[in-house]
Amino acid sequence: MNHRRDGILRNEELKHHLPPLTRLSAGPVVVIECVEDIPCNPCVQACPRDAIVIEGDINNTPTVDYDKCNGCGLCISACPGLAIFVVDASRADGLGTVTLPYEYLPLPKKDEIVSAIDREGNIVSDALVTRVVDSKALDRTPLVSIEVPQQYVMIVRHFRCKDGRD
Amino acid sequence: MKDDVIICRCEDITYGEIVEAIDSGLTTLDELKRVLRTGMGPCQGRTCSRLISRIIVERVGGEVADMKTLLDRPPTMPVEIGILAGEGNEE
Amino acid sequence: MRLTRHPILEFDRGREIEFEFEFDGRRLLGFEGESIAAALHANDIRVFRESVRRKRPRGFFCAIGRCSSCLMTVDGIPNIMTCVTPLREGMRVETQRGKGTIPLADLSSAGSPPPEPRRDSDDGATIPLAIVGMGPAGLSAAAYAGRMGVETVVIDENLVPGGQLIKQTHMFFGSREHYAQIRGVDIGDRLIANLESLPVKLMLGTTVLGLYPDRTLSLLAGTRHMQLKADAVILATGASENMLAFENCDLPGVYGAGAVQTLMNVHGVVPGKRVLMVGAGNIGLIVAYQLLQAGVDVAAVIDAAPEIGGYHVHAAKIRRAGVPILISHTILRVTGPDRVESAEICRVDDHWQPVPGSERKLPVDAVCLAVGLTPNCELAFQMGCRQTYMSELGGPVAVHGPDLETSIPGVFIAGDASGVEEASTAMIEGRLAGLAAAEWLGAESDTDELARLRDEAADSLKTLRAGPFGAKAREGKEKMLSSMNEDKAGTQ
Ligand SMILES: Cc1cc2nc3c(=O)[nH]c(=O)nc-3n(C[C@H](O)[C@H](O)[C@H](O)COP(=O)(O)OP(=O)(O)OC[C@H]3O[C@@H](n4cnc5c(N)ncnc54)[C@H](O)[C@@H]3O)c2cc1C
Ligand code: FES
Ligand code: FES
Repeated sequence: MNHRRDGILRNEELKHHLPPLTRLSAGPVVVIECVEDIPCNPCVQACPRDAIVIEGDINNTPTVDYDKCNGCGLCISACPGLAIFVVDASRADGLGTVTLPYEYLPLPKKDEIVSAIDREGNIVSDALVTRVVDSKALDRTPLVSIEVPQQYVMIVRHFRCKDGRD
Repeated sequence: MKDDVIICRCEDITYGEIVEAIDSGLTTLDELKRVLRTGMGPCQGRTCSRLISRIIVERVGGEVADMKTLLDRPPTMPVEIGILAGEGNEE
Repeated sequence: MRLTRHPILEFDRGREIEFEFEFDGRRLLGFEGESIAAALHANDIRVFRESVRRKRPRGFFCAIGRCSSCLMTVDGIPNIMTCVTPLREGMRVETQRGKGTIPLADLSSAGSPPPEPRRDSDDGATIPLAIVGMGPAGLSAAAYAGRMGVETVVIDENLVPGGQLIKQTHMFFGSREHYAQIRGVDIGDRLIANLESLPVKLMLGTTVLGLYPDRTLSLLAGTRHMQLKADAVILATGASENMLAFENCDLPGVYGAGAVQTLMNVHGVVPGKRVLMVGAGNIGLIVAYQLLQAGVDVAAVIDAAPEIGGYHVHAAKIRRAGVPILISHTILRVTGPDRVESAEICRVDDHWQPVPGSERKLPVDAVCLAVGLTPNCELAFQMGCRQTYMSELGGPVAVHGPDLETSIPGVFIAGDASGVEEASTAMIEGRLAGLAAAEWLGAESDTDELARLRDEAADSLKTLRAGPFGAKAREGKEKMLSSMNEDKAGTQ
């Protein structure tokens, strides 16, 4: 199976697009799940630290200088494909956070418990909402940070509010 | 495909009727239009021409590419005849 | 059901009014100015008419006045296209049976007169440049021709400018010059803003019925029929959705993807509770996402092809929301007494044939078709522009070169009408066509500037088509060019 057959990215396809393990454990960092050559580059301009580069042709996929990236998340809502996430797997308490774009209603509230969901739409765990940002600058692509067991930070890519609505 | 599938929804013409006409020797959109009225509805064949071209190719071979389109005569939209005759301009 | 809240859109509805449905004078509520079809749909009425010969129930299908499925009797006049006719207070709307005795009425002869086109041009006038279509291609063409000082009229049948953009709630791709990261609905506003202080007039609510070899356009605005003569013409008429045939495909509840978008994103009415999407290209994937955002369940997205056609990022959004994408699957039939109650799908083999035993019934109340587009080239063909069939570009198209000029000098074609692509390429093609028209008209402008803008646009187009997803358009355009050159060599 590859993603062109079922829409799911697997580690095999993702591995060239992920931060190294040492960087993951050092603090929040961006994960850009953009693996196809499509003409698009807003992420490059969104990054205040010039950590995201698209070399040459605008069709190329972005590459990240993970040393420059500090996980600020300004690129997340800039991505038309909603393919950018910030993960933090640096904590010692076994918990991690995933910050993701969320264009659905209702928007959860801070401290709400939601169901964390993987790339295939399966619920993998409960998650605590730690931050919700819906500023004007985000132009209706709010950012939600959720806390999940640390081993899930590279698995969880969505969540659902507990009342069943997406 | 089942015979009773509607292909030209404006004129209510089915796959079966079209196949029968093609098999009787009508192999262009224009000929089918004259006999079956396919493409003569208010949508002027926008909805059905592409499907009918495919059925023709499926029955008699050839290429959809060589099919002459129906959409080359004005008006592009169904209009009341009176309007074209100038009755609509009430001032 | 009407949407009261939406994550992206706010619905600016008119006054709530009453109208009558059927002879028994059932009174329903709707909003003034929304389409009759949307108002009926919001009242859970799906059957609009009985088909002409077989008396089959029909609802609306295209929502843009192209398919005739939605014809009803309004205030006693039959054959009213309810999907494009605005609702008025006290209207009497009846199911139409059979053909109706009065000839097909135009879209606004029922009820009160339609809103006047914003700025009208004089009947029978001649203008240097007429542009048909106010989508991204037409508006960009107007901006660039206008910049070169060309007096221009842009015409569109809709009451709001923007073409396809007015239904697109998602952010667009590309780079800054293509308005990347901005939502489609907002790009139209920016394109209009670009026209500020340019010699460009907009004629909305006006359909171009015909285009004649002497460059006369025959126009219809409401019930007013007009003529306009132009020295040069740019056709930016977009593309129409393809139909798919299967058992009961004419049952109310089977909609084109564009119709679903119009209903949902323009009128704020959802098409159903649970939808099957047919087509996993970008449009199918995006509209599936938009359905989820509107709180509608998507049972599955299916596609007969052995691969997902659209961008992975669009597929990923709906997959993580739990929507399955089934490739090598097709729809066999929909069932229901007078509206869709279920859809049957099955697997197809390598030869696109249904695999026996793989049938599956999905309980859905709507099916949305996103199975491709065909360029709208009728006007070019009417005029006598040479046509060719280019499957890479979506079907029969008017032959054109890199400057978008057709086989008739001074007649240009741009955007989806010249080959189905994207808004970003449509904008650039529009710019090129606008510049080429200006040059053809001998506009008194800075020729260096014109050449610079043209080179810039040509480069940008090349870049946009350089990737794997641009390959089809690239090949189609190249094939057309080489056939054109061969033709030229042949006639010399
Ligand atoms: C669901 C969906 C999602 C999309 N997402 C993206 C995306 O993310 N990025 C992207 O770049 N592109 C996207 N597109 C594609 C993009 O919308 C189109 O490629 C683009 O709108 C084409 O522009 P156009 O100006 O050629 O035509 P259109 O936008 O279709 O405009 C043509 C206009 O001409 C009018 N017209 C036609 N004939 C006549 C006539 N005879 N008289 C008067 N008026 C007439 C039409 O009513 C229409 O308003 C999407 C399309 C869809 C359907
Ligand atoms: S569907 Fe055949 S003419 Fe309209
Ligand atoms: S014409 Fe109204 S739905 Fe197609």
